[in-house]
This record gives sequence, structure tokens and C-alpha cells, in this order.
Amino acid sequence: MIADEASMAHMMAAAQRGDREMYRVLLGEVQLWLARYFRKRVPPAQLDDLVQEVMMAVHAKRATWDPTRAFYPWLAAIARYRWVDHLRKVYRSAEDELGDHDAAEDSEEEAVMARMSLERLFVHLPDRQVEVIELVKIEGLSIAEAAERTGQSESLVKVNIHRGLKKLSALVEKAE
Amino acid sequence: MTMNRVPNPLIDELADDLAPVAPIRPWHGALLVALSALATVVLVELVDGLWRGITTGAASSIFFIANGMLGLLGVAAAGAVVSMASPRVGNRHEGARWSAAMLGLLPLTALLALGAGGLYAAVSSDPYGFECFLASAGFGLVTAAALVLWLRRGAPVSLGAAGLFTGIAAGAIGSFAYGLACPIDSIDHLGIWHVAPVALMGLVGRIAVPPLVRW
Repeated sequence: MIADEASMAHMMAAAQRGDREMYRVLLGEVQLWLARYFRKRVPPAQLDDLVQEVMMAVHAKRATWDPTRAFYPWLAAIARYRWVDHLRKVYRSAEDELGDHDAAEDSEEEAVMARMSLERLFVHLPDRQVEVIELVKIEGLSIAEAAERTGQSESLVKVNIHRGLKKLSALVEKAE
Repeated sequence: MTMNRVPNPLIDELADDLAPVAPIRPWHGALLVALSALATVVLVELVDGLWRGITTGAASSIFFIANGMLGLLGVAAAGAVVSMASPRVGNRHEGARWSAAMLGLLPLTALLALGAGGLYAAVSSDPYGFECFLASAGFGLVTAAALVLWLRRGAPVSLGAAGLFTGIAAGAIGSFAYGLACPIDSIDHLGIWHVAPVALMGLVGRIAVPPLVRW
């Protein structure tokens, strides 16, 4: 089990006061939570990099967590922000393909919750945009391959990726 | 609770680097906005002089309604920006959206009251309209600067919305402050020339602010 909201908020408040031991424990939990949060939405070879990137963002922006608010919605907002950024930047090589890499899950409910959070962003996008973002940005197909697979023209694939990513970044905080 | 289950040298690095921080407080942001709005009003008084007719009963009802709406929109939009510095899933900023929509009632009222031809004639023959438009947008820059500084301290994750609301707040507060110096209190003047700066600054903010607050 990953630590609950109250424990995380308690540890984060201590970390803001400079408690290194609490912070170590907190970051361990954050790392675990993020790995689960991004699973299936990031190629496995890039998962560690993205998790580390978010942990560094958490560190750099730790003052922006308001102790009167919940911790996980703050972490999720930063995770989503970095994830969309990552999708924009990523040009995957072929060997990074998604495989059967699902880690053992602590509980079905947690896994669903974690996955839902990124899924909630996708439900606001038209299917044609979700489809090409998944194929090109997550599974790593080329534009031409995605065009062939979906029946969309290559320029339409590009337009749909561009529009979809733009919409995703506008949904980071909004979509629940 | 368990300890670190996945060994990661980064965790040690970050923990070793940990220094105490003062957590962000929304009321600090609110205070910053209030001070910048106050500074704007003082600046308007120094540059143009506030309209004394406000306190002597010379101003029409629409003067108070229009400037009140601009002021409230400024508060709502600035409040949205202040909360964006501390991100969280579930931030929706509905208050700012509805307030912005409500401001649209002013030009709509002008259009319905005067008709398209009448409104065009009134607006195009208004000798002070463009001056009010430019001055309101210009005075809005004080609030814009304060909000950009606040966002740079924070961690905004909806950059487009942050830019848009920064612009809207700046335009609304600038227009509110300059409105206190403008004695023209007809619906066509207020509904067009005092609302247009909000639209202009919203657009400018949407384009110019995201690169300034990206992290």
C-alpha cells in the first residue's frame, strides 16, 4: 500500500520545514505512486526518466504545496503537467515498444484509481486524436504507420496529434 | 508505512539538498493583487485625477454597475491566477469564467438599447473612447506584472488559462481604476471602450504570459 493522504500531507508539511528523514520516506512513496500513475501511459524505457523528472519538479516546487490543501491532487497536477510535456517532446525509438510489463498491483482499486487519473484527460478528446497520440507518442509508431493503421492521412495524423496535445495541456487541472 | 521500496540515489540527493521553505499562501497572492490594484488607483489619481463627481451624486447608475462589474471580474480572475500558483487536479476557475461572461452584458445592453446603427454612430463619434481603451489597458500592466511575478514563484500547470486570466484580471483592474477617472458614463462608452481593454489584455495575456511562467 502507498501511504494515505493524511500521512503524505503530514510528511510533506514536515519536508517543507526541512525534515530530511520524513522527506526521504515521502519521496519513496511518491516514486512508487508515480510509477503506477504513469504505467501504460509511458513506454517502459522512459518511465524511470519521467518519474525522476517529476520528483525533481516536486523538489523544486515543494513550496507551492499549500498545507491547507490535499497532497495527492497537487502531486497529480504536477505529474500530468510533466507527462503532457513529455508527450510533446518524445520521439521514441522502435525498441521502446510497450510490452507485457505490468508490475504486480498492490490492489485492484488503487491501480484503477491511478490509471483513471490520466484516463480522465483522454475522455475529453475525440477518439481520432486519442488514437493517434497513443499510437505515435506512446506506442512509438511513425506518422506513416499510424496513418496506415487508422486510415487517417499523414497530415491529419499530425494535425490530430497537435490538437490533441494542446487540448491535453488545457485539461491538466480541470479533468477529474 | 514502509520505507523506500525502490532504492534510488536521486532520493538521497534531493533529501540532502532539502532546505526549509515557506509554503505558498493564497492570501499572500491576494494581498499582492490588492496592493497592485491600490497602486493602480493611486497612479490614476496622480496621472489623471479621479472623477470627483463620483462622490457628489453626478455619476449615473450604469457608472457604478459597469465599474463594479469590472472590479468584481478583476477580483475573480486574479483569484483564479493566485490559486493556479499552487496547482491541483480539480481547479476549475468557474467564478472567473462566469464573471467574464457577465461582463459581456455591458456591450450587449449597449447593442440592444441603441441598435447596431446607433451603437456604431455613438462609438465612432466618441472622442475619448480610444484614449480610455489605451489608458485602461496600460494601467492594467501593474496588475499583470504582479500576477506574472506570483505565477513565477508558483507552479502553474495550465499555462494557457493562467495567461488568459492574468490578462483578463489586468484588463479588468486597469479598466476599473481608469474608470474612476472617466466622467463619461453612458452605456455605449462604458460597454465598448471600457470593456474592450479586458478582451485585448486577455488576448495579450494568453499569448505573452505562458512563455514567462513556463517551468
